[in-house]
Amino acid sequence: MSTTSTLNAASSADRGPPAWTRWLDLGDRALAVVLLAPAAILLALIIVYPVLRLGYTSFFSLSLTSGLPAEFVGLENYSLMLEDPVFWETTWNTVLITLITVPGALLVGLALALLANLPFGVQWPVRLSLLIPWALPLSFAGLIFAWFFHSEYGVVNDVLNRLGFEGIIWFNSPNWAFAAICLTIIWKTSSFMALIILAGLQTIPRSLYEAADVDGAGRVRQFFEITLPLLKPSIVVALIFRTITALQTFDIPYMMTGGGPGTSTATLAMYIHQNTVSFLDLGYGSALAVVMFALSMCVTAVYLRAIRTKE
Amino acid sequence: MNTRILAGALATAAMLAFAAPAFADTDLKIFVSSQHQPDVWRKVLDKYEAENPGVKVAIETGGNTSEAQAQYLNTVMSAKDTNLDVLMLDVIRPAQYAAAGWTSAFEGKDMSVYLPAYVEANTVDGKVVALPAFADAMFLYYRKDLLDKYGITPPKTWDELAAAAKKVAEGEKNPDLQGLSFQGKAIEGAVCTFLLPYWSQGKNLVENGKLTFDHDAAVTALSLWKGFVDDGTAKKNIAEVATDDTRKEFQAGSALFAVNWSYAWTHFQGAESAVKGNVGVTRLPALGSGEQASCLGGWEWGVSAYSTHQDEAKKLVEYLSSEDVSVFMAANGSLLPTYADAYKNDEVLKAVPWFADALQVVETAKARPVTPRYNEVSEVIRTTVNAVLAGVTTPEDGASQIEARLKRILR
Repeated sequence: MSTTSTLNAASSADRGPPAWTRWLDLGDRALAVVLLAPAAILLALIIVYPVLRLGYTSFFSLSLTSGLPAEFVGLENYSLMLEDPVFWETTWNTVLITLITVPGALLVGLALALLANLPFGVQWPVRLSLLIPWALPLSFAGLIFAWFFHSEYGVVNDVLNRLGFEGIIWFNSPNWAFAAICLTIIWKTSSFMALIILAGLQTIPRSLYEAADVDGAGRVRQFFEITLPLLKPSIVVALIFRTITALQTFDIPYMMTGGGPGTSTATLAMYIHQNTVSFLDLGYGSALAVVMFALSMCVTAVYLRAIRTKE
Repeated sequence: MNTRILAGALATAAMLAFAAPAFADTDLKIFVSSQHQPDVWRKVLDKYEAENPGVKVAIETGGNTSEAQAQYLNTVMSAKDTNLDVLMLDVIRPAQYAAAGWTSAFEGKDMSVYLPAYVEANTVDGKVVALPAFADAMFLYYRKDLLDKYGITPPKTWDELAAAAKKVAEGEKNPDLQGLSFQGKAIEGAVCTFLLPYWSQGKNLVENGKLTFDHDAAVTALSLWKGFVDDGTAKKNIAEVATDDTRKEFQAGSALFAVNWSYAWTHFQGAESAVKGNVGVTRLPALGSGEQASCLGGWEWGVSAYSTHQDEAKKLVEYLSSEDVSVFMAANGSLLPTYADAYKNDEVLKAVPWFADALQVVETAKARPVTPRYNEVSEVIRTTVNAVLAGVTTPEDGASQIEARLKRILR
């Protein structure tokens, strides 16, 4: 026994690592696969599987309130959707919120970032006040602003009254309610934009501005010729994140108006939630969610293409 | 070796000592809606625990409206969570929970002891799916002091109510005093807001599971409430008002009339109330010469189908829905009893004298449609009521929208 094992050990030493470890000696490609596998499996379990399952469920009539088992119905959920006026209304509201709040948050965020980038003596209070709206949970922001805009007890109407204007019953009118929601979303999200843009601003070398000063370029010209072009990558990244979260807007309108008056401020995400959680119509809810997923993917594809053509 | 045996014996003894009570005890968890006196239910449970050694019951609450609670419970039950054993359900939900297979049926239960409306609400396809916790109905609360001051008797019709509100408003000249507070926000209460004047015209929404929607009656019902907003009887932002807002406004003395459930009474008589001793309660007014209809409320006890303590949970629910507990909750929590006799009980009448007249209201109150798809029916009605009160939709268009959407749900 002992002699053979010694022999084996000796011979394997001659040939390099022991035989049983040979299968570990992988090529670069295989090594990459092995190293990526844990993360890939985890992602597959928590993202890929649910998404596939969602798509699968969307082809079934599955409503827990019916007491019936799931039945394959093909594209029926999708054709129902096309005839559903609430689907179109909530989708339109979602698109409108995206079109208003994403550029709005970008402009406010850019201004905030430029302000925060000014050479203050003490910078932390500025940075902190930038972080707070971003760190606040969305539903808290919704509740706080619901009180701000309350027609009787709200601070907004109080200020309007003191300035001599008549108070507005914000949540009684689709347009005012929509405006209140958009203002809240811009307040809540512009600090995220500002943080990313601020990081971008700090990578721009001071020497560029010094050179521009020497060449006699004014402040405005410096902004458009140096700051903005060099900020573009940060801005695009911020826009991608913001647009996708805007398409998924749920918490703020849910807390502020619950979609009212009527369904005039309901978003697609709220309609999905209503169908799945409240009506327990999992088939239809899944189909709606697939549409929202497709919408987000389209937007991401457009942005990614925009970046790629730049490079 | 001896020390080893000793150590082993000690370890085993220790394990048994800790394990024994865990085997003997049954831990039940019940969900109670936070607005329905969980602290008073706690006293009932303490008594049950004392009478049933080895059973421990914990209360869980969450969400402050019926919808929020339903969303929470829907999530728990869809996940087949075994954590909750007993659920307190709004009267509109047992049918849905039974259809989803979330509650266990009670075999051989004699339901004739309860008020008939609750037998109906808790029986689905001949099976008893839940037992009644307490009854409820909507009432008209009024300021006794102000009506006396102007020599007005409590109104029997909505027109009389509007006239009374006008008279008091002109006399009081108080901009903070509104005539009538009711529920205009898109919440469950707004469904009853719509149905009260609709029913008053002798119409039903659903008969034998079929939609019997009367378009003209619906237009009249929606116009009544919109009229109150337009003529100043109700305040302009009534579309923002939820059930508990009505309660708070009346309690603060800023409403002459209020439409609300029975729970509000305890609050009006409480230490923080500005109207203590000045509150009258009566049947809701009728529309013209119609009937004085009220909306049937109340909550039920269901046993979760996923509970691992089926027998113990059912035994607890039998107790919680007994006449003794019904009397106790009426006297101590002003929750309306589900037993007719309890309305004549001395202990109850001493605590809440007006319950003597409440039996008739509960007995004649109408139930919202019993259907597994009730959440969808509710959503259609409440968002439309909300849109009409906000002036986004006309009563005519609102009635047409309700009809079109209900037709799709209640095929």
